[in-house]
Amino acid sequence: MTKRFITLILTALLGVSFAQTITVWSGFPEMEAFYRYVADDFEAENPGVTIEILTQPLRDFERKVTVALPSNSAADILEISSSFAARLVQGGLIPALPDNLAEYVRSEAYNDFFVENASFDGNVYGVPLFRGQGALFYNTAMFEEAGLPGPPQTMEEYIDYANQLTVRDDSGNPTRSGWSLRLTGGGSGVAEKFWTIMHQYGGSIVEQTADGLWKNGYNNEAGQQAVQLYVDLVNKDNVVTPELKGDAEGFELGTTAMFIRESWVIGDIASKAPDLEYDTALLPEGTIALPVNLYVTNDNSEAYAFVEYALKPEYQLWLFENVGWLPNRQDVDYTPVIEAIPQVEAFLNVPEEHNLFTVPPIAPIDEIQTRFAERLVQAYTDESLVDNPEGIAEFLAEAAAETDAILERAGLLGE
Amino acid sequence: MTSPITRKRWFFAYAALAPILAIYLFVRIIPIGRTFLMSFRNWDLIALNKPFIGMANYLELLKDPSFQTSLVNTTVIAFGIVILSVPAALLVAVLLSRPRKLSAFYETAYFLPVVTSMVPATLAWKWILDADLGPLNQFIGFFGMSPKAWLIEPGLAIFSIILLSAWKVLGYNMIIFLVGIRNIPATYYEAATIDGATNLQRFRYITLPQLRPILLFVSVITVIQSYNVYTQVYVLASDAQGAPGYVVRVLVYDMIENGFRFFRMGYASAEAMVLLLIVMTLTLLQFAFLRERT
Repeated sequence: MTKRFITLILTALLGVSFAQTITVWSGFPEMEAFYRYVADDFEAENPGVTIEILTQPLRDFERKVTVALPSNSAADILEISSSFAARLVQGGLIPALPDNLAEYVRSEAYNDFFVENASFDGNVYGVPLFRGQGALFYNTAMFEEAGLPGPPQTMEEYIDYANQLTVRDDSGNPTRSGWSLRLTGGGSGVAEKFWTIMHQYGGSIVEQTADGLWKNGYNNEAGQQAVQLYVDLVNKDNVVTPELKGDAEGFELGTTAMFIRESWVIGDIASKAPDLEYDTALLPEGTIALPVNLYVTNDNSEAYAFVEYALKPEYQLWLFENVGWLPNRQDVDYTPVIEAIPQVEAFLNVPEEHNLFTVPPIAPIDEIQTRFAERLVQAYTDESLVDNPEGIAEFLAEAAAETDAILERAGLLGE
Repeated sequence: MTSPITRKRWFFAYAALAPILAIYLFVRIIPIGRTFLMSFRNWDLIALNKPFIGMANYLELLKDPSFQTSLVNTTVIAFGIVILSVPAALLVAVLLSRPRKLSAFYETAYFLPVVTSMVPATLAWKWILDADLGPLNQFIGFFGMSPKAWLIEPGLAIFSIILLSAWKVLGYNMIIFLVGIRNIPATYYEAATIDGATNLQRFRYITLPQLRPILLFVSVITVIQSYNVYTQVYVLASDAQGAPGYVVRVLVYDMIENGFRFFRMGYASAEAMVLLLIVMTLTLLQFAFLRERT
């Protein structure tokens, strides 16, 4: 009896000492399915280890991480964009990866672009997982109906097609937008979307100067053309309005004929509008690619093991096929996914001359984009800017002064 | 010289108050003091060095269009809520002041929003105000009005927040007024009735003057609460696609964004001190007015 009792106690104690919970936080709710899928296999292979996953909308998640990390109450594994992580890494809140994992990240498995974005001061901090890369989504049935041969190739064609694809009611208000543009919303998303359009004209929200610092990159012809495009499509051509449902939801509902977005929309369409006739296409000059990495916040071997486990080719394929985010491993054969979902090709087979850009990992970048976005939201619906290049120039000069002031305050303003 | 009994009573009073005062000191006074000190530093949330910069944060506030927009919006919303909710609550309280068969039901119905959690209540309003599917647009359609973008057009978005907030606070204000009205001696009304006063005259010359202290109390409480408006703005109109974001920016939202998104805790602390100053000034002004009139 005593023996059985002691055995029972020992078993319970051992069970307690070996049981371990690894927490994973993500700012992309759709990623929960991926982590759960990986975690089920990992838990089966590692008895006693439990993976807890928490996903939240991105901005809430970022605030939570900001508060939790300094107080050592963050999850073991954080899934964060490289631009947001930069501040946390520079603040010493995230440790560098152990040598074996760092070596793996530096291996042929990843393009240099992703290694650079996961590194700081020569050390690797994050494990590249996926990226948010933009491309054009267009409704093939609507294009056919409008007699358009295929996706637009130049910005002039984008504007022309947008006008041809718009359906308006008797009073001239669009009931279907030819091109859904992000016109409203809090946070930096508005600026990021604007950045992608402006990139086609050669502009950038911030650009590096010869002294290695930064300054605004939009108070120029490219910025002028991009703002003009928005102002005209909203106020002059009546192609899109803030009220009309747009973005992925509008595309799935048929209230927009085309829009620019990341690959996750493919997964979203598959679940919400599986019968939608659509295709994807490259943008004229290049597109944004926002790397999202996994960071381990403490020296937890099981957490590192889970991160490594999630990188297996079969999980990368599952992520791409089922969630839609673009995995960053380049040594995985994605052919089965392309065969199953042809629309992914515009994201995967990107020609070398197609220029990928990303948000630079500088501390005030989020503030710069958010402040600029607030101004853009007002400018887009400002009718006084129609056929008013001087007004647009004035708007850009004021916004640029604010951007440069933020950079100066952070000690990052270049000549 | 105080007697031992008096001293004992004082001791008991302080001893009884001590735990509450200690908690108040710990969760209110000390944080306010620390926030005040932080407002003079370049206090980055995650940087080790937090240098003293004097009044720089306050001077930057004066030039910051985002802060100015927040201040104007918050003030418009705060006074909008008072203007909408206080008279409405008074009207409802007057209508419910005479006990009737369904009085308890109506009192509960009006009070229900007060005890409803702000987030689900706001989500329900978000649906009501939706430009495409919302019942409010269907309702105004019956009167031949065109659908409105309640949560997108700047002026309407602010009005929507005022409407929701007034609805939420109406029940609380109504209960306070109801207690006040029921405490007015019935003899005043009887005398007025004998003198041939109409209902409107009874309200104008008896109810309203008698309720003045309560009216001021309700206005003070409502304006203070309204200056702290955040949740409804966040859920209804900010940080989401299709939301006006900037145009309904309010002070608490701006503070949270500066502190927890841009890591500028020193700057956010300066904003918090300005908000504290505004609320304290308003409170003192209204209490001074209250003392004068009562």
